[in-house]
Amino acid sequence: MIELHNVSKSFGDTLAVDDISFTVPKGRFCALVGTSGCGKSTTLRMINRLTAHGGGEITLDGQVVAAYNPVQLRRRIGYVIQDTGLFPHWSVARNIGTVPRLLKWPVDQIRERVEELMQFLDLPVDAFAHKYPHQLSGGQAQRVGVARALAADPDILLMDEPFGALDPITREKLQSMLARLQARLHKTVVLVTHDMDEALRLADHLVVMRDGKIVQQGSPLALLQKPANDFVDSLLGGLERGLKQASLTRVRDHMAPLGPTLPAQSRVPDTYTLRQALSVMLRDHCERVTVVDKSDVPVGELSLRKLVKEAHAEQGHGRES
Amino acid sequence: MPLMDALPIRGERWARWCPNRVMLCLTVAMLAALWGLDVVSVAPNRIVQSTGYPVWQALGLPGAGLATLLLTVMFGLAVHPERSGYPALLAASCLLLLLLPFGLMLASHWLITPGAAQARLGIGPAYWTLLFMLSLCLVELRLRMRLARGWMLLIILAILGVWWLCAALWLQPLALVQEFQARQEAFYRALGEHVALVSIAVTVSIVLGIGIAMLIRRFSASRKSAFAVLNFLQTVPSLALFGLLLAPLAWLAARFDWLAAMGIKGIGWTPALIALIAYSLLPMVRNTYIAFEAVSPAALDAARGMGMRPAQCFWQVRLPLALPILLEGVRITTVQAVGLAAVAALIGAGGLGTFIFQGLGQAAMDMVLLGALPIIAMALMADTALGALAEKLRQGDHPAQGERA
Repeated sequence: MIELHNVSKSFGDTLAVDDISFTVPKGRFCALVGTSGCGKSTTLRMINRLTAHGGGEITLDGQVVAAYNPVQLRRRIGYVIQDTGLFPHWSVARNIGTVPRLLKWPVDQIRERVEELMQFLDLPVDAFAHKYPHQLSGGQAQRVGVARALAADPDILLMDEPFGALDPITREKLQSMLARLQARLHKTVVLVTHDMDEALRLADHLVVMRDGKIVQQGSPLALLQKPANDFVDSLLGGLERGLKQASLTRVRDHMAPLGPTLPAQSRVPDTYTLRQALSVMLRDHCERVTVVDKSDVPVGELSLRKLVKEAHAEQGHGRES
Repeated sequence: MPLMDALPIRGERWARWCPNRVMLCLTVAMLAALWGLDVVSVAPNRIVQSTGYPVWQALGLPGAGLATLLLTVMFGLAVHPERSGYPALLAASCLLLLLLPFGLMLASHWLITPGAAQARLGIGPAYWTLLFMLSLCLVELRLRMRLARGWMLLIILAILGVWWLCAALWLQPLALVQEFQARQEAFYRALGEHVALVSIAVTVSIVLGIGIAMLIRRFSASRKSAFAVLNFLQTVPSLALFGLLLAPLAWLAARFDWLAAMGIKGIGWTPALIALIAYSLLPMVRNTYIAFEAVSPAALDAARGMGMRPAQCFWQVRLPLALPILLEGVRITTVQAVGLAAVAALIGAGGLGTFIFQGLGQAAMDMVLLGALPIIAMALMADTALGALAEKLRQGDHPAQGERA
């Protein structure tokens, strides 16, 4: 559990972070969102003491971070940064094993852990273990970065715009990888991003920051339903807000049982979001789609009318499993 | 469009003809030098003016023919390098380099009457030109073939070894060999002094240079003034610096007995060492500073974020990443010090420069060569060895940075 109470930080005369408070319960995913220079990275770096905080108090599992030895503290916290920060003179395997080596694990255990993580992150050991960072694509390099952060199995994961430098397709892939990972590992994650879609997709709790202050925080749905002001509204995409909200819930939570009428021609899997279902309707010029399960068996149907009515009501939580 | 490709277009053949122009020029120049300049010179003794001989007299027709043939083959290979391949060119160049001393043997066989113990064989301009151009060929071929520096070092060492063997065993009439044999002991002493001067100067400047670079990084306000001082030191002419050091050092030695007891005086090794270190500092400090600045901030941030202690950050990340550029500084410093140490002979510091200045005084060019050739060889070897080391250390790093043209 990470708690920030009235935390401030100033660099010289400028107040970078101004009296912010938020809590990330154990196993939850929190995203700090805002435009560049709003103090979100500084906030993140104060948690693992890469930057010392000014006023206020930051606690991890009830203990103030200022009381920890910073080196020991950081070894307990996974840390991923935008430029991957891989050590260019070390092979992939050695990079991933950094923290276990710092913690003086036995060599065999390190190797085992590295291989396990590489498998887990879809990096075949034979092909990648001995490669150097410059031989990797952006996506591969960042997967190594994530593996390195997870190496010593920390409870807490801090990610500073991890996918900011990647192309949209790779970013999309890594986001779903991270979602899968989180569904399995249940780390306490703080993610800094300027990409609202990324935050909506991954986080349970959003903290929107501007000029060092928190403008609004809450669940994705809460923000989408009631943006506190125009700034949050514009971050959420303004007119696109409705669509983004529709992308938070899945078809299977809203479909109706199969009716007596002939099933519709267009089919959508039940794992699709309402937004994707709507897109299918627009594409196929129809008002009704048949919902199918994994093995392509019809299990229900969804009409445009129902979709429009329900997209706003529910707080579905079936994201990305 | 295969049909278009099949059409004979005027000029097409010429457009596709891409010879290695560097090798073409070099081989043509070598052929011209071989036939146009004197290959060797012969003097009945050390004092008398020597007479030059062209290739057909020096090597005889078979020798001249062989050299010409090899050069013509190289020319032919350079016309279509992509087909015949560069390895053949490299082999031909190495063969020519290996044959050079045997050419001299031939010349001494043809031109020097047996029993004329005083007669001396001088190496002529054609020979020097050939040697120089062949070295250029090796450089060009190394770049084209992307050979590692380590391989080049091996090749050069092998060639030098063969030369040394030939000179020691069979080339008695060669003036250079005679000069060497006349002062063998002095030569080895001078060589030792030279190596000692250079290695002490370089070691001290590495330690000082890294220290100063660290201080400059710590106190960034001092950067401009520190580099200004170092730049100034670098611009003072070496002889002037020796002169400037003479008076204060002599004064110090006269004032403090224990300094004089240590062997410190106005001339000799002390001012030479101080001057060498002063000149070495700028490249050393500059490269160290740049090396540490160039380390990726992301890697350092990650290192800290992973929980490395400051010392671990330095030894595991910062230093290894800075090392290739740092070694480049050591390379520049060493090569420069090898050359500068020659001048130090003027103030009695010894070293191979002694032969150069003595030879100049006696108008004995072969004695000058006795000093100059080992200096050149030392500089080349230091350059290649340190370059190879830096290249090896760079392996994990971006290869794009590693390739120096």
